[in-house]
Amino acid sequence: MPAYRNIRLCGKDCMCLYVCPTGATNTEDSIIDASKCISGCMACVTACPSGAISMIPDTYPAEQPKADSVVAAQRALGLSKVLQWCIASVVAASSDNATTRQFATAIAKSNLRMAEDILREAGYMLPQSDEVHKLLETLENAAPDFPKDAINLLIKLNSMSR
Amino acid sequence: MKKYVCKVCGYVYDEAVGVLDEEIQPGTKWEDVPDDFVCPVCAASKTEFELLGETEPPVEALPKAATLNIKGLSAGEISAICSSLAKACEKQRLMAEMEAFNELADYFKSKINVEQDKTLEDAAKMLADDLLNGFSTANSAAKQEADRGAQRSLVWSEKVSVIMKTLLDRFVKGGETLGDSRIYVCDICGFIYVGNARPEICPVCKVPGFKMYQVEKR
Repeated sequence: MPAYRNIRLCGKDCMCLYVCPTGATNTEDSIIDASKCISGCMACVTACPSGAISMIPDTYPAEQPKADSVVAAQRALGLSKVLQWCIASVVAASSDNATTRQFATAIAKSNLRMAEDILREAGYMLPQSDEVHKLLETLENAAPDFPKDAINLLIKLNSMSR
Repeated sequence: MKKYVCKVCGYVYDEAVGVLDEEIQPGTKWEDVPDDFVCPVCAASKTEFELLGETEPPVEALPKAATLNIKGLSAGEISAICSSLAKACEKQRLMAEMEAFNELADYFKSKINVEQDKTLEDAAKMLADDLLNGFSTANSAAKQEADRGAQRSLVWSEKVSVIMKTLLDRFVKGGETLGDSRIYVCDICGFIYVGNARPEICPVCKVPGFKMYQVEKR
């Protein structure tokens, strides 16, 4: 469980430098050195007056269960947003009018953000969840021309934290 | 004197106060506010306001048969799920896993059956159907199951959809009516803002404005 500094919140108060027993927080790029950070130590987290440092958890609880009716409705709406994302992407790539391309790009982006959020709430929020595990396994079986390394890495992450 | 609230961002129009910046004098009745009035915060049209204090209609029970149809996921849906999970990995500082999910998202994006002949008008029609049917079905299910996560996603995306419909309808009807305004899209909820300056916070999901990205004209 290493510490992580949010650079947007960091007020350069330097308390983390004073309390860190290993010097892990004192880096030129503001990223806390995970190889030096003592897992679970928390000294910098409690000392930071800007609330800019948090601990990255190692394990996560099971994702909240989803009712079938919610999954079905979220998926139906998510699919509609996906299709609109696709339509707008094609227009954004193919229109000969710059304003239309700009507008369609915004519509595409917006639809993808909505699709991600709506489908996430169909049971795919946590990378380590059972639903994601099931999905990853189906994908592995379904596609021969697949980026295998990617899926193997993700199944490993998923199994490790369960 | 009555008050009207913007359904998208929560801005309240108070008849007693008016909107001085828009030259709407104190005491101006809502009926007398011009039809082309837009919300000073999020630019939603006048029709997106409702009388403050009006209660929501009761949740209708869903016919079970309509809800239990869980089908397989298409390439586009898997792509969106993977790009969302990539962001989840980024938040957990799992950078290799983030890249792997992004690789999967790109892979499935490339497998989408693209319909080349569809236009923004087709997208506008689907959007209208979302607002007429999709959201009410999903909202009923989420409320019935007390699923706050799903409700949150629906509240945000419905507001984003309402604004998108206003913009799409205007665009489809009038062609290029956006003028020289800039376009920003919220990277969290997808809210589209057309205006001259980036909002300080997203009016829909309230994330700080630095997470709203400008879409350049190219």
